Amino acid sequence: MNPPVATSSDAPDLSPAAPHGGGKPARAKGGNIGLALTLPGQIVSVLVLVIPLLVALYMSFTDWSPTRGSLFDAEFVGFENYSELLIWDTRFLYAVLRTLCISAVCLALEFTFGLSLAVLFMRSFRGKSLLFSAFLTPMMILPVVVGYIFWMLFQSSGPVNQILEFVLGPDVALEWFRSAPLAVTAVIITEVWHWTPLFFLILLSGLNSVPENPVRAAVILGANPRQVFWRVIMPTLKPVIIVAFVIRAMEIIKLFDEVFMLTRGGPGSATETISLYIYKLAFNDFQLAYGAAAAFLVLLGALGLIHLLLMPVRNQLLEVKR
Amino acid sequence: MLSKKLTLFQAALLAAALAVVLFPVFWILMTAIKPPTDWNASPAIWMPSQPTLVNFKTLFDPDALKEYGVGGVSQSATKAVFGSLLASITSTALSVLIGLFAAIGISRYGAENKSTPLVILSGRMFPPAAIAVPFVIIFSNIGLTDSYVGLIAIYVAATLPFSTWMLKSFVDDLPREIEEAAMIDGTSRMKAHLTVTIPLIRGGLFATTMFIFILNWSEFMFALVLSYSNVSTIPVQLAKYVTATAGTLYGVQAALAVLAMVPLVIVGYLIQGHLARGMTFGAIKQ
Amino acid sequence: MSIPKLELVSLAKEYNDGAVVAVDGIDLSVAPGETIALLGPSGCGKSTTLNMVVGLEEPTSGDIHIDGLSIVNIPPGKRNVGLVFQDYAVFPSMTVRQNLAFGLVVRKAAKDDIDRAVDEVAELLGMGGRLHVRARDLGGSEMQRVAIGRTLVTKPAVLLLDEPLSNLEAAARLTMRRELRRLQSEIGLTIIYVTHDQIEALSLADRIAVMHAGKILQVEKTSVICERPDHVYVAGFLGSPPMNLLAGEIAPGASGAAGPAFTHGPLTLALPADCPLGKGSYTLGLRPESLRLVPESEAPLAGTVSLVEFRGGDVVVTVDVASVKLDVILPATERPAMGQSVGVDFDPDSLVFFGGDSSRRLDVRPMGRPL
Repeated sequence: MNPPVATSSDAPDLSPAAPHGGGKPARAKGGNIGLALTLPGQIVSVLVLVIPLLVALYMSFTDWSPTRGSLFDAEFVGFENYSELLIWDTRFLYAVLRTLCISAVCLALEFTFGLSLAVLFMRSFRGKSLLFSAFLTPMMILPVVVGYIFWMLFQSSGPVNQILEFVLGPDVALEWFRSAPLAVTAVIITEVWHWTPLFFLILLSGLNSVPENPVRAAVILGANPRQVFWRVIMPTLKPVIIVAFVIRAMEIIKLFDEVFMLTRGGPGSATETISLYIYKLAFNDFQLAYGAAAAFLVLLGALGLIHLLLMPVRNQLLEVKR
Repeated sequence: MLSKKLTLFQAALLAAALAVVLFPVFWILMTAIKPPTDWNASPAIWMPSQPTLVNFKTLFDPDALKEYGVGGVSQSATKAVFGSLLASITSTALSVLIGLFAAIGISRYGAENKSTPLVILSGRMFPPAAIAVPFVIIFSNIGLTDSYVGLIAIYVAATLPFSTWMLKSFVDDLPREIEEAAMIDGTSRMKAHLTVTIPLIRGGLFATTMFIFILNWSEFMFALVLSYSNVSTIPVQLAKYVTATAGTLYGVQAALAVLAMVPLVIVGYLIQGHLARGMTFGAIKQ
Repeated sequence: MSIPKLELVSLAKEYNDGAVVAVDGIDLSVAPGETIALLGPSGCGKSTTLNMVVGLEEPTSGDIHIDGLSIVNIPPGKRNVGLVFQDYAVFPSMTVRQNLAFGLVVRKAAKDDIDRAVDEVAELLGMGGRLHVRARDLGGSEMQRVAIGRTLVTKPAVLLLDEPLSNLEAAARLTMRRELRRLQSEIGLTIIYVTHDQIEALSLADRIAVMHAGKILQVEKTSVICERPDHVYVAGFLGSPPMNLLAGEIAPGASGAAGPAFTHGPLTLALPADCPLGKGSYTLGLRPESLRLVPESEAPLAGTVSLVEFRGGDVVVTVDVASVKLDVILPATERPAMGQSVGVDFDPDSLVFFGGDSSRRLDVRPMGRPL
């Protein structure tokens, strides 16, 4: 790699007020140290991430199964796995669709609740910091534990049904895990409970960093609170909102732990997410090569999706990421 | 912002939200201290008839557990707790250490290229279930399945992007002059980083360590796939208990869940100020 | 006499139940079409006053009238005042057009009316060609124009500005000064602005109100206020450098002198026998512009030059007279050498006396020939 030539635009801003540790670096001076410092990380990444990934990639083009001996003896079948997944495997396609729908609903709900909470927290009231900690609690809990808790809550004799009976009358005895729509609803409720605090956290910090003077200017110009919120505050929040969505979207498409504890993907395959399907392929049915191909398809799809989501704010996002 | 007070309606909303948020936590706590007679009650009992800590004892008592079933169900949680501690602490320490140096390298010496964020992002999008497969294959070839070494290696690799990027954002916040001032005295670069940079980011270092610990402690899929008889972590054990006939192990399971939960909630509270930074790869600072 | 455009009546603002008095019962009357500067250091209460007029803060007591009507109970959005923030606070993601239109858009005005008003104001401020630019991509003075234009579109009764020139570079300041003057004359705006910079005050305002510790010490026409400061503080604030102020005593017949004399430490100045000021403590003011350097023998005061500050057209010479430092402004051609022994002379009419207790200027003319 060629060291960059220092140009005038590389001159650092030396004013004391500007922290610029991450700016254009003094490459010429400490080049070797930089390499030395990042080397362990790169070694780990290559060994433990890149190599298995490449192995998995290779695997996806074979028809290997552990029962058939070593991976390297397996037959190379080209894109057969991929085409089967995309054309014939309805269970896969349903899993993808299901995951996307559940994700979309969860994200929408998490955003709405998170934003509402954040807006409420812009007011002044006593005990705010205590309440803030309380509202962050759900996202600190292990996903398996969250799944387990809600598994208990949604039992037929559990408190959710008890509350519903109290509100709607004794004829409401829902079998949450026996009916597909109810199971999906239970998964969504669990997810939304678990991760709304993240949106709340990010949006609240976003709201707190909205500059005050434009808001005041809008008020003086005659805007009512709703107009101020939607016309002045929200546009400033746009990059923050997108970061929140992207970060959360990346994680939710891998949804596994909670669903595993709640339903194992059932009833039938009603709540089978992509991760659960791949898990089953690999560790129940031992169709490892096929599962690997599915994983790479998912990766490509997710990359494309994220790219699409990020398009409108690419430049702003680079600023935020810095 | 226009900081007015809450209206009554808004306060009611807030209270309702609080109830929803805390109810599941309340439930698991109550269940953990329910005596066995309460476990199977139908409809479920909210408050224990006689609060007891016996579940926590049963959790570690293999003989007591045998009454509830066979296989994973009758396993005491001792190994799982030990396993979680070993795997989480070790992998966190390694991840943070490696990530710290990488963060300094990237922040101060520009060792990254423009595509690194994208690579990391895509790494996060890969379903773990699939990457578990090649791991199993490779590990079984080198004898690392069902071993903590293998698990720790995976945990380190999986959390490295987080630790690196989060620490990088802390190092970025430090002006370069601080190290350069130290170097004017003749200190070498490495020494400057050790004596100046690192102490100055210790708040962020602590937050990152705690955050990575949370990630590792919570990890389920890889532990599930890679643990057979020698290795176990708390999430895996929790899943095993679920295979007991529904209801027969509620109290004990809840006790384990509480044991798993409590450290994280405390840690989360400690690093509250840096949570946004951790969760968003350093993109958003509170 | 016409109704003042803006009137502050015993306006006061306290915090912490009276522990902190930001504005201490001020009165001010601004005529239509006038430009007034509220001048004072940080913490003097000028920004708080501005905030109260706009409605961002509520007065503890007192009243504010616009066109004769009290506005204290009207919410900020409906007071028909315009405010331009020090950092302009344009809406960054909106275009110039959208920024300018904002005030009318939130009032749900008709589209044609909005477009017409925006075009008019844009034309007035020279931003006609930039209407489609996003506000965050504008330069500093362009942003200020947009901020001003944003308020003008709503046709405010009064335009308020917070430190209008402080964020601009020197060249832009000159331009903006002329722009604001032009706006004033073209549309007869009533302008009140707040500043800590006396140059900003002197160059833009018709009248200046000097504020200190929550009170207005003096309101006076710009052309006059430097020469006739009413208060010791004002005298020490205005001017570059400000008036030389010596606190001291007038005593009748000091040792061996024929009549009363003013003493400030080791410095003594004789006053004529018919000096109307009686015995007591006073502060003497000597304007640097009215002092001149003469040969020692002819001077009432003598000392050595300790500092010479060249300023392009003139010099500021600091003379140590009996360990008292006096600033003298001279044309550049007359600058003396450092350490030179010189005499300081003045026109007796230019002496200004302030009461020791009241700090107010005393309207007297003692003729003085020194010892």
